[in-house]
Amino acid sequence: MGLTSVGLFQHKQSDSKSRSPIVEVFESEKNFFDEAFREEIKEHARSYFDEIIKQNVVLFKQDLDAAVVDISAELRTQTAGRLDDAIAKVNSELKEHATKQLDERFVAYGKEMKDAQDATLVALNNSAKTLEDQYQEFGTTVQKSIANQNVMIHGVFEENMTRMTSMKDEQASALQTIKDSAKALEEQYKQLGETLQKNVNDQQEMILATFQDNMAQVVEHYLLGALGDQYDLKAQLPSIIKQMEENKDAMMDDMKL
Amino acid sequence: MTEVIVKTHTEFVLPPSVATKLDVSHLVAELEKVDSTLTSAAVHAEKGGPEVAAPILSQQLTDFLVENDLLLEKGQERTRLVKELRLLKDAVPIIHMTFAVPADPESLQQLVQWIRTSLDPRAVIAVGLQPGLIAGVYVRTPNHVHDLSLRRMLRAGRGKLIEELGALRGK
Repeated sequence: MGLTSVGLFQHKQSDSKSRSPIVEVFESEKNFFDEAFREEIKEHARSYFDEIIKQNVVLFKQDLDAAVVDISAELRTQTAGRLDDAIAKVNSELKEHATKQLDERFVAYGKEMKDAQDATLVALNNSAKTLEDQYQEFGTTVQKSIANQNVMIHGVFEENMTRMTSMKDEQASALQTIKDSAKALEEQYKQLGETLQKNVNDQQEMILATFQDNMAQVVEHYLLGALGDQYDLKAQLPSIIKQMEENKDAMMDDMKL
Repeated sequence: MTEVIVKTHTEFVLPPSVATKLDVSHLVAELEKVDSTLTSAAVHAEKGGPEVAAPILSQQLTDFLVENDLLLEKGQERTRLVKELRLLKDAVPIIHMTFAVPADPESLQQLVQWIRTSLDPRAVIAVGLQPGLIAGVYVRTPNHVHDLSLRRMLRAGRGKLIEELGALRGK
């Protein structure tokens, strides 16, 4: 500030006739504050100003950080509060809406259930009445049927009695016929037995005659089977020579021809 | 040149071991083979070649040579003998005998001995087999047959058998 004041008073240097003591001081000092001194003071002021600026920057930064922290906290608090309020409000509205919907549904269901129960009750009453009517009708029909059955059974009994009487007569007649048939059959059986016996005797005679005719062949086959492998030529030789001896003359005559 | 004296086929005596026509055929074949062998041996001997072993004769040929007093030393005699044996084979009387069982050689020799003693000294047998005869023999000479079998005897006695069966039935 002192320098500025010095500058302000630089335009009054030409007014020497009305020069005051202060101006004089300034003028004396003007000589004292030369260019080098001024530069030194400027440099000193500049460094001081830079120091002040740096300190203010640090302080400003600290104030700014604190303000940011405070603002964040405040903002978080504000946001949380508003969110809680909004959620509470939404919950309340939702609960109210759901309760309202459920109440409406319960009312509708109750009404429908009551209508269905009423309809069922009416149907049951109708069925019971129909069943009762049918039961009464069935009882009437059964009574009529029993009466008809009694009449019919009585008629059948009478008819069967008549039939049994006629059947007894027929049985007696059939029995007589069977007796006659049995007698005739017995006579036929007797005749058949005699004929069969005669045929058996004839067959037996024929078989025996055939057997006698075939017996000789059977004996030949038997001898052939029995002697074929056991009666060798050495054993037969005496018999053969004996027979050849008996036929010797005939053979000799034939050899001489 | 001396004349070879050999019996003719009509003078040959057949031994019992030569009983059948087949035996005579074997005899001729064997004699031809022996003649060939001995002739070949004689030629080798004349040429100084290796000595050929003497042939081994069968029992039938040996019996025949002994029975007829014959020798096989001279080639001409052998040749003549072969010729006569061939004539004998065609000339021998044959008696066909059919048996019910196979004939063994001993039995055949006994039979041919009886035939040569009783019928013809040069006869031989032609053997046949017929099991249906049951037993005995069926003999066929040049012009006749003689059924000496058990089958014929059974058939001849068939009427008697039927009578016996009828008797067993009580008729």
